[in-house]
Amino acid sequence: MEFILNTARMVDNDQAKEFIFGNEITLEQKLAIAFLNAKDFEKLKLKPNLNLKISNQNGEITVKALIDEDVPQRTVLMPVSIWSNQLVSIVNEEINYKNIKVNLESTSNSIIKFKELLNRIKGNK
Amino acid sequence: MELYKYLPKTNCKLCGKPTCMAFALDLLQGKAKVDECTPLLEPKFNTQYNTLKELLGAEEGQQKELKINVDTDLCDGCGICVTVCPVNARYCPPTLSGKAPDYPPEKHQLFQVKEGKCELLEIKHCRRLDFEGRERECRVCETYCPRDAVKIEYV
Amino acid sequence: MKRIPCSGCSLLCDDVIIRSDGIYIDEVIGACIKGKERFDQTTAKNRIINPMIRKNGELQKVSWDEALDKTLKIIKNTSNPLLYGFSTVSCEAQLKGIELARMINGFIDSNSTICQGRLLNKAKETGITLTTITEIINKGDLIILWGANAAESIPRLLNKILFSRGKFRMTGREIKTLIIIDPVKTASFGVMGVRDIALIIEPNKDLDLIRILKEECCKADSIPSEGVAGIDKDDLKRLLLHLTGAENGVIFAGQGLLNSDLGSDVLKEFLELIQMINLKQEKGRISVILMGGHYNMTGFEHVALSAVGKNHSLQFSNGEFVDTEKTIISKIESEDFDSSIIVGTDPISHLAKRLSSKLAKKPLILIDNRNSSTLNIADVVLPTALTGIECEGLAYRLDHVPIELQKIINPPNKVPSDEELLEKIIHKLKT
Repeated sequence: MEFILNTARMVDNDQAKEFIFGNEITLEQKLAIAFLNAKDFEKLKLKPNLNLKISNQNGEITVKALIDEDVPQRTVLMPVSIWSNQLVSIVNEEINYKNIKVNLESTSNSIIKFKELLNRIKGNK
Repeated sequence: MELYKYLPKTNCKLCGKPTCMAFALDLLQGKAKVDECTPLLEPKFNTQYNTLKELLGAEEGQQKELKINVDTDLCDGCGICVTVCPVNARYCPPTLSGKAPDYPPEKHQLFQVKEGKCELLEIKHCRRLDFEGRERECRVCETYCPRDAVKIEYV
Repeated sequence: MKRIPCSGCSLLCDDVIIRSDGIYIDEVIGACIKGKERFDQTTAKNRIINPMIRKNGELQKVSWDEALDKTLKIIKNTSNPLLYGFSTVSCEAQLKGIELARMINGFIDSNSTICQGRLLNKAKETGITLTTITEIINKGDLIILWGANAAESIPRLLNKILFSRGKFRMTGREIKTLIIIDPVKTASFGVMGVRDIALIIEPNKDLDLIRILKEECCKADSIPSEGVAGIDKDDLKRLLLHLTGAENGVIFAGQGLLNSDLGSDVLKEFLELIQMINLKQEKGRISVILMGGHYNMTGFEHVALSAVGKNHSLQFSNGEFVDTEKTIISKIESEDFDSSIIVGTDPISHLAKRLSSKLAKKPLILIDNRNSSTLNIADVVLPTALTGIECEGLAYRLDHVPIELQKIINPPNKVPSDEELLEKIIHKLKT
C-alpha cells in the first residue's frame, strides 16, 4: 500500500544517545521502529509476530511496527536514524527528509540489523 | 472536576462553604459528606445524589492527602512546571535568558529540575493546601506539562 | 557550585548549576534531559579516549605519533579533500579548520547546508528579519511553530519563551498567543491554552498555505469557502489577523517547513510573505528564528563569513579562495573528491544511502569522541575533548548571540581539544 513517510526527532528514541550509552541491541530496539494509526495497522493485517517492510526506489528496510493514535491515516512516522535514512531521496541537490513516498507491506522476515546496513553501505555482498 | 458537575451550582452557602466548587474539593479530600448539601436531598436532584454516592463509594468522609506524582519515564526536564508554579515564582534572579530559580532552593519552592528530571521538593506550600477560595483550584502544573507527566491525586 | 552555559543543544541555556570538585561532575541542576546526557558523556562507557587505526579490517589502539603519521600520509596523498562537520566544535576550531582547508586545497562545509543554512541562503535574495530570545521573553506577543516540534528537539524552548516572566510582559503565558502548524499532533500541542490555535495541515501542502496568505494580504476575501490544505476559512482568517496585528511576532521555522514541497521555491515564497506582512504592519513586525540542532551550527556561518566572505561551500585552490557553484551534495554525488576529514558528526547515518556509500569508498579520517556509524567505516580515529565541559570556546546560539563556554574538569587521558589537534596537524604539514 502507498504511504507517506515522515522522519522526526524524538527525545526517547535518539540515535546519538544509544551510541554513547547503549549497545547494538538497544540501538535496534529503540530505532528500528515505525508508528502507524490503528486503522492502517488492521488494513495491513499486522500482528505482534509480523514486521513491517518499507520500500521505495532508494532502498528497503524491515522494522517493527507500533500503534500511535496521533499519526494521521496513510502516514508512517519513524525516528531519525540510519534505518530511516536508507529511504530518503535527493531532489534538486537537496536531501528530502519528510513526505517521502513509500510502499508498505507486512512480512515475517526479521528486523534488519545494524551490521547488515553497514555492509550494504560499504558495498559488500 | 468530575464531582462539581453533579452539584446544584447555586453557591447557596447552606453547607457552610463559600462556593459549590469549594464543597466539591472538600468532598474529594474527604473533609465533607454528600448529605451536608441539603438542596441535594430534594427529590429533583435524586439522580445526581445517587451518582455522587456511587462515585465516592466507601471513601466518602475518609480524610485524603494531596499527592503530586511526577512520572520520571515521561518527564524530559523541560522545566515548565518550575516556571509556571505561582509559589516558585517568588524569588527568581535574572540570567541572560530570562529569570530562573535560585540555588539552594528557596524554602517555599515546590519543584526543581535535577539530573534532567523534575522532582517535587516538598508539598507544604502548594496553593491547594495553603489557601482557600479560587487559588485552591490551582492545577497549572498538571495542565501545562506537554508530556502529561504531572498528575494531582488524592490518596 | 556555579552557573555555566550548557552545550546540549543550540539553546545554550546559561542558568544551569553544576556542583563539581574539578575531577568529577557531582550534580546537575536546571538542565533538561538533553543537557544531562551531554554532561554524562564525560564518563560514558563508549567514549573514545585513544587514537585508533584500521588494520586488516579492525580498529586498533595506537600511539598519537603513529595516528598522526598515518593522517599526514593520507593528506599528502590527496589532491582534492573534503572537510565536513564542524557543528559540534568551538568557533576557534572552526577557524583552524578553514586554515587547514586552505593549506591542503580542500572543500569545507558544515552541517547547516542540509539543515537551517538553506533558509539563510535564500534570504540573500529576499531579506530576512531576525530577533533574539530575550526580545521575545520581554516583548513578544505572538509565537508560531511552523513544522517545528519544540517539545522533542529543544525541550526548554517553550518554557523560556512562553512561560518566563519578562520585563514588560509580567505574566508570560496569558499575554502570548501560540499557533502551531503541523501535520501530526505532536507533544508541543500539550502546552496550548484556550486562546491558542492549532492548525493541522495536510502533508506537503505548506506552499498552498503560503500562497493563499499572500493573496489574502493583497486582496481581501480571496479564501475559498472550503478552506485550503485542510485548514478551514475561519482559522485562516484568524491566522492572518494575528500575523498583521502582532506587535512582536516570531515564527520558528523547523524541518517540516524546510523539507516541504522540495523542487519548488517554497522558502523564497515564505520569506516574501514575511516581508509583505512587515510592510503592511504599522507598528509591529514578524521575525524568523531557525531551529538548529547542534550547539554551534550557527557559529560556522559567522566564522566563514568573517574569514573569506561566504557562509557555506568554501573551495580553496592553490592556497586561494575560489568562487564555486558546487555544494557538498553535488561533490559527493559526482565523486569529485579523493578523501574526507569528518569532524564531530556522523554522515554515514545522516546522509542518503546514495551519498554515504560513495563517501565510504574513499579514505576517511574521523575527529570525534564517541561511537557512531562513521566510526565503523573510518580509517583513522582521533579523539578530542568535549567543548563546554573539558575545554573552553565560543559558540553561537540559535538566535546568533555569542556565548562563552567554560571548562569545569580536565579531559581524560589528556586528549587535546579540537583546536589544539587541528593546530598540531597544520604545524606538522608545514614542517
